[in-house]
Amino acid sequence: MSTVVPPRVRGMLAGISWPVYVLLYTPLALVAYYSFAPAPNMAGHSLHAYNVLFHDGVVFVALQRSLILAIGSATVSTALGTLLGYGLCRFRVANARGFMANMPSLIIYTPIIMPSLVFGISELIFFNFVHRTTGMLGAGLGTMVIAHITFQVPYVALTVFARLAGLDPNLFEASYDLYADGIKSFLYLVVPVVQPAIIGGFMLGITLSIDDFTISFFTSGPGSVTLPIYIYSAIARKGISPEINALGTLMITTIVVLAIVHFFITRHRDDASRQEA
Amino acid sequence: MRTAAQGEARSRAIRLWITSGPGLFWIVLFLLIPSAVLLGIGFFSADDYGNPVLPLSTTPFQQVAGYSLLGWDDGNIIIFLRSVQQAGIATVVTALLSYPLVFFIMTRPASVRPLLLLFIILPSWTNQVVRTYAWLELLGPNAPVTWVAHWLGIVPPDLGIAPGSFAVTTGLAYNYLPYMIVPLYASAEKLDWTLVEAGRDLYASGLRLFWHTVFPQTVPGLLSGVIFVAIPAFGDYVVPQLLGGDRALMIGSLIANQFTETPDWPYGAALTIIMLVFTGAGLVAFRVLTRKIGGEGEATI
Repeated sequence: MSTVVPPRVRGMLAGISWPVYVLLYTPLALVAYYSFAPAPNMAGHSLHAYNVLFHDGVVFVALQRSLILAIGSATVSTALGTLLGYGLCRFRVANARGFMANMPSLIIYTPIIMPSLVFGISELIFFNFVHRTTGMLGAGLGTMVIAHITFQVPYVALTVFARLAGLDPNLFEASYDLYADGIKSFLYLVVPVVQPAIIGGFMLGITLSIDDFTISFFTSGPGSVTLPIYIYSAIARKGISPEINALGTLMITTIVVLAIVHFFITRHRDDASRQEA
Repeated sequence: MRTAAQGEARSRAIRLWITSGPGLFWIVLFLLIPSAVLLGIGFFSADDYGNPVLPLSTTPFQQVAGYSLLGWDDGNIIIFLRSVQQAGIATVVTALLSYPLVFFIMTRPASVRPLLLLFIILPSWTNQVVRTYAWLELLGPNAPVTWVAHWLGIVPPDLGIAPGSFAVTTGLAYNYLPYMIVPLYASAEKLDWTLVEAGRDLYASGLRLFWHTVFPQTVPGLLSGVIFVAIPAFGDYVVPQLLGGDRALMIGSLIANQFTETPDWPYGAALTIIMLVFTGAGLVAFRVLTRKIGGEGEATI
């Protein structure tokens, strides 16, 4: 296919693309570079900022909260999303028309297309209102987990749905013929088959949670500062410091390493399964 | 016979509700109802603390249009137009960058393509705040790029490129580039290269060849990309907040201010309604327009 593209054009494409790749990582690299700022009254690069960071209790608590938020919300949304994707794929009447039949799709796509600012403010108002009338759901880590679950569920559901939609429906008939009931069929046929999608959905949930700032910002309370909120308010208060850069560097490095490891693991697995087939 | 079929349909419906019910219920309870409440608040009056109170009124929308106790001013309209402009430029920039990038990746060996794509998407997996403030390091008052801008006289001394309009455009384009690349790449992967060969056999070359054989096939991806970039960029909050400063205020920050710094919920809700209405109208106009010029190339969300 690519033989059609003449070498001159290929050179041009490469000439534009490599600088873009460099530009994509320049800001991130600068964050890392400035994190090795010299210690006070000293010259040269140092790990001073990291030293300060590791002895900062506030940062450590914020990190804990971020992890609880990411893992907690991704766990619940994986359960809800898997069931949702499975149900829509298996039990929805095919080719049904009308408002009620399209309701589930409309509901699933709302969190995806809604601007995150509108999302966050809606939840802010809702939680505020519920808290004032019932005393429950005061702004804090709990409301943040609820909000994060809400934006993750559709992505997990769509991932699982996509995997199931590619399956032969006769497989389910076969499992029923072998006297599996609905629950058995779900546990022994569906779960193993969609396991990659479930794991993928869980990872996607964690990624979305770590990436988010806007929705977290509007659903958080005074006692639920997570890492992104900590960084944001630190910058707003006193600008960028070497410690913030050190924290940013650690966050960027974690994501980059995890992504690359995940990439090579899944590719290795794909290669292996291709050889078996 | 008939009752058996009905019974089956019923058990199917019950199973649908057992499996899909909880997830759908969650989204309805924690997103659809809250956003309905938000939209409703836009039609209330505000008390002294900015909370919504009865009676119903249209004051919030008059505020949106720029009317206040002090008379009319064009501040909101300027912010609104600026948001449209920023989102528009960011969309064009991402589209212009995406074509060479996508076809650069396509012309590489199949084994390295996923990796090249991964490195485009990777920055977007880091946190919004981190990847946005990172641009302050490059465009801030003490950054080398800013020295060049000082020397060229583009930026007044002592000021940085960030905060400012240019920094916001850059930040938006940076944040949303993957949203353009991914759908475009998906349609480029399905490209029918025999059409390109046919075009070449007819002695078309260069831009003409691209325009008549490659471009039409990538239109669906491009249209999805435009929607994925323009809509979130229009209402973005983090980028204008961190890279914009006061003179590059966008509608997202204006809305957020009504719920944080100087609370006026009904006004903020009215702004949100107007923003959503314009987003929706933009989507519809975009679809009508593309159907007219493209025909078969229809964006699907």
